[in-house]
Amino acid sequence: MEIHAREKDNIVIFDIEGEIRRSDVTDVTLHQLVKDQLDVGKRNILLNFNDVEFIDSFGVGEILASYISTHNLGGKLKIAKISKKLYLVFQVTMLTKVLEIFDEEELALDSFMGD
Amino acid sequence: MAINGIHRIFSRFVKIKPSELKISILLFFYLFLVIAAYNVVKPIRNASLLEELGYELLPLVYLLTAVIIGFVVALHSRIQVKFSRYTLITVSILFFLISCFVFRIFSGLGWKGLPVIFWVWANIFIIVLNTQFWITVNDILNPREFKRLSGFFISGGILGGFMGGVLAGLLAKENVDYNLLFLSAGLLTLCALFVYLIFRWQKREHPVEAKAKKSEEDKGETTSKPGFRDSFNTVKKNKYLRLIAAIVVLTLVVSTLIDFQWNTVVKETIEGDLTSFFGYFNAGLMVFAFLLSILMTSNLFKRYGVRISLLLYPLVLMLCFSGIGIFASLIAAIIIKGSDKSLAYTINRSARELLFIPVSPELKYKAIVFIDMFVDRFSKGIGAVLLLVILSFGIKDYKELVRIVSLVSVVLIFGWIVLTLRASREYVNSVKQKLSRKWERADQVVEEELDLDYTKLIFDTLESKDRSPDLYAMYLFDLMKHGKLTPEIKQLLSDKPEKTAPPSFEAFFETDSTALIRMSDEYNNENVLNKEIKDIMSLDIYEDVMMKYIEKILSEKRNDAETDKMEVAKGIGFLSADSPMVNKLEEFLMDDSLEVRKLAIESMSKIRKREHVPALIQSLGDSWTQSDATMALEKYGAKITGILADYLGDPEEKVELRKAVAPILAHIGNQEAADFILSEMAKDKGEIDSELIDALDRIRSGAPEIEFSFETIKKKIRQEIMSYYELFVRFVDAESKGKEAEISGIMSHELKVSMMNIFKLLGLIYPHEDIVKAFQNIQTGTKDSVAYAVELLDNTLEKEIREAILPIVEDLSQEDRVKACVGLRKDFPEF
Repeated sequence: MEIHAREKDNIVIFDIEGEIRRSDVTDVTLHQLVKDQLDVGKRNILLNFNDVEFIDSFGVGEILASYISTHNLGGKLKIAKISKKLYLVFQVTMLTKVLEIFDEEELALDSFMGD
Repeated sequence: MAINGIHRIFSRFVKIKPSELKISILLFFYLFLVIAAYNVVKPIRNASLLEELGYELLPLVYLLTAVIIGFVVALHSRIQVKFSRYTLITVSILFFLISCFVFRIFSGLGWKGLPVIFWVWANIFIIVLNTQFWITVNDILNPREFKRLSGFFISGGILGGFMGGVLAGLLAKENVDYNLLFLSAGLLTLCALFVYLIFRWQKREHPVEAKAKKSEEDKGETTSKPGFRDSFNTVKKNKYLRLIAAIVVLTLVVSTLIDFQWNTVVKETIEGDLTSFFGYFNAGLMVFAFLLSILMTSNLFKRYGVRISLLLYPLVLMLCFSGIGIFASLIAAIIIKGSDKSLAYTINRSARELLFIPVSPELKYKAIVFIDMFVDRFSKGIGAVLLLVILSFGIKDYKELVRIVSLVSVVLIFGWIVLTLRASREYVNSVKQKLSRKWERADQVVEEELDLDYTKLIFDTLESKDRSPDLYAMYLFDLMKHGKLTPEIKQLLSDKPEKTAPPSFEAFFETDSTALIRMSDEYNNENVLNKEIKDIMSLDIYEDVMMKYIEKILSEKRNDAETDKMEVAKGIGFLSADSPMVNKLEEFLMDDSLEVRKLAIESMSKIRKREHVPALIQSLGDSWTQSDATMALEKYGAKITGILADYLGDPEEKVELRKAVAPILAHIGNQEAADFILSEMAKDKGEIDSELIDALDRIRSGAPEIEFSFETIKKKIRQEIMSYYELFVRFVDAESKGKEAEISGIMSHELKVSMMNIFKLLGLIYPHEDIVKAFQNIQTGTKDSVAYAVELLDNTLEKEIREAILPIVEDLSQEDRVKACVGLRKDFPEF
């Protein structure tokens, strides 16, 4: 898994590539990266899943941990471009009720403006 | 008016209904005239043979008669499938009528062989016309009618025998007076008129049955190869008919042995005028048989049923054989001969013909012709051979001879009794075969034929498409999880595009649904999705996040929160039972929204946590959620039997709730559930009795091995019958007083429920299938199938229960039923 961070209109966008799974843990986890951004005062986080091939429960845990950390600090964590399959999983697990998920990055970025 | 008057007179002796009076009288005279005509011919037959040829020729004449009867059976079998019953009988009567004239003409020619031919002809005369009479009776009457009426028209036959004999005696001008044949012809002409009236009555009163019988006759013409062999094979291939034939053989062999004993004892003990002795004896016998027939036959059938009626004859004869075997006196001989002849003509004849009634028409008529004509005569031949064997031992002392004959007869009677027991069992089976089951228990059919969960899931999935994409996804997951997302279902779902489908799902149901198929195949085969979802839901962090969300949703008061709540109520169903979120379901169960409550119930049914059971049971009290709660509780299975039983037996609980618990216990359907229901029923509170009885019936339908306390059920049957009597009397009273249709409508419904309860209770302690068939046919059958149903009950229930139930199911007038109900309420049979 590779995670690249970029910033647009004060929104930190994490472009995630590859698979987010327990067996493929990198030195720094997604949650840690989000926390780092929160530590430097960023409050709007967008996770771009466009190039994510697979995500397991560990990955979902990372997303949720990131969501909690952001939310507890009054920030917003949103998700863009997740696969149909992952969306289905999120729907069944009711995570779509908690997480804001968008088809396109642009739409997600626009939503931050409206908050 | 005149009919009513006649009916009143007849009903003192025989249980004839007003509607049966005409046919009973017609059958009475039909048999009366046949037997009277024969008894006019009989003295000419005997006198001509003895006067002109002597006793020596008798064995030869017997043999000749037996052989020719074989041909008559063959001929009759062929003719009977080609012509209607009416034509056959009329032509037969006409044949014997013309023969009377022919014999009268030939009698003047002084031809030596005439007495032999006349003897054989006279025997064929009585065999053919008598058999045709019984075929007609079989055509017209069902078993119930036969049991009530047979005694009456048999007494007509006995009276005919008496009258014929007296007339012949009074009118005979010389030793062999062939002029008497004119009298016989006159009686046969009258007989033809009665046959015409009988068939006209049948056509008018039972056009459907008459038409059906005509079509059966037509069918017989095309499907069978008529003849002696065909009739023989018909009996040979059918176990029941074989039994009847075997009983007839033994009956007649024993009867022949009795005849021998009788003649031997009379010859050895009476000196002087034998003719006078036989005359007095026969006259006395006729009177006795007449009284026995008209007074006892119907009552015997009614009180003791077919089995005892069939057994009475051999048992009485066995006692008599013991008597004559020990004493070998004239008194013993009179008793055994009197018993034999009187019982053979009356009760035994009725019982024997009754056995044929439930046999299918295509077998019955061939069998009756074969058994009544051929086997009857053939058996007397066997009896004669047996006697010859006994005589060949050269026993000189007549008492010793009588004893040996008694011993042989007793052995034969043992066989006869065994066969009779088997035949009476087979008779009941034949009656059962006449009854078809008209419907199954609806809940059982639904359970067996439908996958209710699956059906509900499909409909809910379709509905959820319009409600929310997330809810829709959850339903799709449900379908995938259960391997139900088949191509057909995918097609069905894609036929109706959802209004608010998220982008991710749009592609699923586009024309090319490969994405979904690929995904679902992957998930179905590897169970990946299920595992992923499980893993996610087991995360502590997931729990933290979702718990907060659930609490937030539960506190939402806004109107549009319903869908969110529905999604959560549904989603919790995917969690494991130990998740704290599961405990929130009870709060969803108290939501104002019915949809939310229903989904909470659905989730509870998936998780099946024991703690949810009380809440689910409470939901049974709400008519909106009752069916969902029922389905949910049914899924818990036997582990909640105890708690369900607590609610069932708690008088503090709402009646509606307790009523709803009973079918769930029935669904569990084990011995413990049955015992709980039964013990609740035994408390005699009454308010939920119908539900308890129905639950027990359901258990019985599904699990015949479950046992029910005989005494408790019998007690309840007694109560239900008593309440039926009371309700029926009140119902008739309300109707007669012109009370509002609504009141009598309610009562009529209550009567139906009460009747259903009685039969459901009977089904718990008697063969369930038989009772169900009987009930269904009594409720919706034709006159005949109702009669067969009642006949089945008559042969299945124990005497006391039978006596209490038959009056409410028999085909009785309202007046008679009220009388019976009032009478039985005062004097209820103990059981």
